[in-house]
Amino acid sequence: MVTLALLGGVLILAALGCDADAHQSILSSTPWTLDGVGGPVAREQLLLFNVLLWTMVIVFVLVEGALLYAAIRFRRKPGDPLPPQTHGHTPLEIAWTIVPTILILGLGVWSVIVLFKLEPGEAIALARVEGKEPVRVEAVGHQWWWEFRYEDPLPGDEATKLVTTANEMRVPVNTPIIMDLKSDDVIHSFWIPKLAGKQDVVPTKTNSMWFLAEETGMYYGQCAEFCGTAHAQMKFRVHVMEDAEYKAWVAGFAEPVQLSAEATRGQLVFLGDGQCVTCHTVGASDVVDPATGEGVQHARMQTYIEYTEWLAKRADERLLDVRTGNEPPTAFAAPNLTDLSCRVTLGAGLVDRNRETLRQWVRDPDSIKPGNRMSELAVIYQTKLDHRADLTEAQLGDLVEYLSAQGSNVCPQ
Amino acid sequence: MVTITGVIPRPSTYTGLWSWLTTVDHKRIGALYGFSAFFFFVVGGIEAGIMRLQLVTSDNSLVSADWFNAMFTMHGTTMIFMAIMPFGATFFNFLIPLMIGARDVAFPRLNAFSYWTFLFGALLMHAGFLIGQVPDAGWFSYANLTAAPFSEGKGLDFWALSLQVLGVASLAAGFNFVVTIINMRAPGMSLMRMPVFVWMTLVTSILLVLAFPIITVALIELTADRQFGANFFNTAAGGDPILWQHLFWLFGHPEVYILILPAMGVVSEIIPTFSRKPLFGYPVVIFSGIVIAIMSWAVWSHHMFTVGLGAIANSVFTITTMLIAVPTGVKIFNWIGTMWSGSIDLRTPMLMAIGFVALFIVGGLSGVSHAVSPSDFQQQDTYYIVAHIHYVLFGGAIFGIFAGIYYWYPKITGKMYNELLGKIHFWLMFIGMNLTFFPMHYAGLNGMPRRIYTYAEGFGWEGMNLLATIGYFIIVISLLIFIHNFFRSIKKGEEAGHDPWDAPTLEWSISSPPPVYNFAEVPVVRGQDAYWITKREAAARGETVPAEPHVDPDTIHMPSPSYWPLITSFGVVWIAGGLLIDVGWDYIRFPISFIGGIITIIGVIGWSNEPAAEEHHEAAGHH
Repeated sequence: MVTLALLGGVLILAALGCDADAHQSILSSTPWTLDGVGGPVAREQLLLFNVLLWTMVIVFVLVEGALLYAAIRFRRKPGDPLPPQTHGHTPLEIAWTIVPTILILGLGVWSVIVLFKLEPGEAIALARVEGKEPVRVEAVGHQWWWEFRYEDPLPGDEATKLVTTANEMRVPVNTPIIMDLKSDDVIHSFWIPKLAGKQDVVPTKTNSMWFLAEETGMYYGQCAEFCGTAHAQMKFRVHVMEDAEYKAWVAGFAEPVQLSAEATRGQLVFLGDGQCVTCHTVGASDVVDPATGEGVQHARMQTYIEYTEWLAKRADERLLDVRTGNEPPTAFAAPNLTDLSCRVTLGAGLVDRNRETLRQWVRDPDSIKPGNRMSELAVIYQTKLDHRADLTEAQLGDLVEYLSAQGSNVCPQ
Repeated sequence: MVTITGVIPRPSTYTGLWSWLTTVDHKRIGALYGFSAFFFFVVGGIEAGIMRLQLVTSDNSLVSADWFNAMFTMHGTTMIFMAIMPFGATFFNFLIPLMIGARDVAFPRLNAFSYWTFLFGALLMHAGFLIGQVPDAGWFSYANLTAAPFSEGKGLDFWALSLQVLGVASLAAGFNFVVTIINMRAPGMSLMRMPVFVWMTLVTSILLVLAFPIITVALIELTADRQFGANFFNTAAGGDPILWQHLFWLFGHPEVYILILPAMGVVSEIIPTFSRKPLFGYPVVIFSGIVIAIMSWAVWSHHMFTVGLGAIANSVFTITTMLIAVPTGVKIFNWIGTMWSGSIDLRTPMLMAIGFVALFIVGGLSGVSHAVSPSDFQQQDTYYIVAHIHYVLFGGAIFGIFAGIYYWYPKITGKMYNELLGKIHFWLMFIGMNLTFFPMHYAGLNGMPRRIYTYAEGFGWEGMNLLATIGYFIIVISLLIFIHNFFRSIKKGEEAGHDPWDAPTLEWSISSPPPVYNFAEVPVVRGQDAYWITKREAAARGETVPAEPHVDPDTIHMPSPSYWPLITSFGVVWIAGGLLIDVGWDYIRFPISFIGGIITIIGVIGWSNEPAAEEHHEAAGHH
């Protein structure tokens, strides 16, 4: 009875698997099939899981059934004599040792075969078959957002430069993508359930994994390894695009955007009172310092790099603990905002991106994402008692205009 | 040196508060362990309730992220180290000497030391709540989230130092029970005549002795990082966060079996008793327990499949992990074999034991699905894992523990619990448990990561979380019924008699509750299920088993109570607690901690100069 109830529960839950809301489900959208996954990696994993699940269901029914049958069938009745005092049965013991061993080793061999298919080398081989190169994307985990860096976004195209974005990565369809995972601080875990299982993002080492998306669209991802206060809010999205769209997006990073009068005032806030530029980068509309001929952000990055090198040197000499050293850090990594218009969410996948949420985010990030590093570190949030941005409403409006212009050449509103 | 023991007169009371503080009686220490474990079980349960209320629906804001993180950290730490482990110690303490026909454990004062060190360590861990410094890095506290730059405050210091103290308690207890079981068995009780519970205690104790040094090393490294600025796990200075994972899980996987093997031992006692049949495949059940213990050293990296150890390492741990399912399955088959064509009495202990088997099967099967590493890449760190660990530790260990509590309740208290309330407790807990944890499988497969304090709507997780929260409250109701039944039956329960279940093991041959000296005459064991042999031979002769001979208690030498274990434990926890002192000058913590060292040394010297039992002429003076 209990077995049947539990089995019924399993089936009801399996039926619930058809839930359209299940953006992060790793189950088949219809039982018995491999529908609902986005690519070959997740499909290998789902096939293995499905076979495993139904094997488990069969074993579950048999063993629980035997247990229940014994408990009911052999219940004591008043006046029952002492049952036969058996001590064991050697052939039976051997049988129920060997049969599970064989079953399990079968699954084990299959697992090992799949394990090697999930190695990044498989992606390179797969791409070669189609006469392509896999796209390599470096994902850097930060507390609590994702940075995506493309050293070579269009393999074979010499002209393209480094592309950096945050929280929403874009990849071409039907192309193997190799992820090189790095961490800026603690351990995170990179996971896009519909495309591939997770791989941890570990400081001091680079882990690699691959996936391939067979259809265009948006896929959901989330940090899976507990990484501190806002771990629950370290989400990301993967936009799978047609090749041409993807190329246009990459090209957009090198093209300057047209700024309205408001946006131009907003740029002054970005570089001046807001001090956003201390940590954030907007590649397409950097301001060139006439004295040096270099971009303002370039100069800022140079300071940052020199500073971190200095810190690393001190750490090597074991002079001080890096983050608790006496010198306050001058810059931290923060999301690159160059293609902000192309993103559908803010705050690492928390709210829809529009002018209103953008304004709320800049004014009071804690109201959207408690524990975020921006309100903790940026000077404009330290000067007022309510820890909101120390900017006028007009400045806020201009800044939102400026930010909304970023990437608008590629992703018009 | 002798003067130290001379200055403080030896405690001589056997009633009142002081008698409990200085007791070395294994049964009293067992009772202390039991009540402490249940207290922390309730604390951990309240922490679970806060989490379940927070997650009852999407975008809930009952508690902050930091509080939620502290809750799941303390829930895991409390349940594992301060509830399930001391519940195991409760049974070891109360039962092992009774089951092997001994009058006490090998080192009675070390036993008292284990208990007090455990209690002080657990209290130190929770002292962080009083000053708002609660550990919040998860029960396995992965480096480098525990490194100073990412973990402000003293929460993780409380965690590391208290766990170190708890480790001292576990190690002392582990050694004590290994020596007790090897050396103190009654004449005739060869190893292959020992009850399975004694066997599983032996295996668990050996695991304790071998596993805790590993976590000790890891915790020393973490403490060195946090207290003295070392760089074991500080990645910025080249430390390796993966080192922590290897050390923690090399301890942590044997630890899983430290938690479950005692429950398996309990169930292996109960199923034969209530089936009126000897355990099916006794040597196989014991051997599979030993195989599990050995193999538990070769599977730790299955907690680390996604860490990036590479396909070859993952392949090895895939295979070893799958193979550990075989001896576990063999145990389950043998329990069913014991019930088969038996004469089964479905009293509460038996229901709990069958519940254990039924739920452990689910946990075992989902365990196999984690062993399949490519599939585990999807399940790792989701609620599917949370479901699995609770089917093993709640469905397994906790049901086993309650089975044991009901089974030995008449022996421990001399009274019989209320059977109806016991059965209601079982059914409510069984239903509540499945309602809480079964939907978590599905939430996890639907992509819900563990350890998230909130989730957005639109992922299809609300329904499963609502069911889990409802299930939680059903479990709470079942436990309230248990508490009522437990205390009411002590006062008003029927007299149980010395052998209410017609049980096979020696503890049932003496009166309930057992006298201080346990056995008036040391029993002689002539086979497995020794007490069954005695009773059935007597029945065949048409006799009843003769009552125990009356013995003058004063003629039996029992170890005397002592202050020194308490003082030594106090010193040990002071060493750890001193390092947590934070007033004014930072370095004040070192001299304060040092005082604890002095207290410990005084305690050990006093202890070693005190005879285990007072000379008998004192007692003779009363004649």
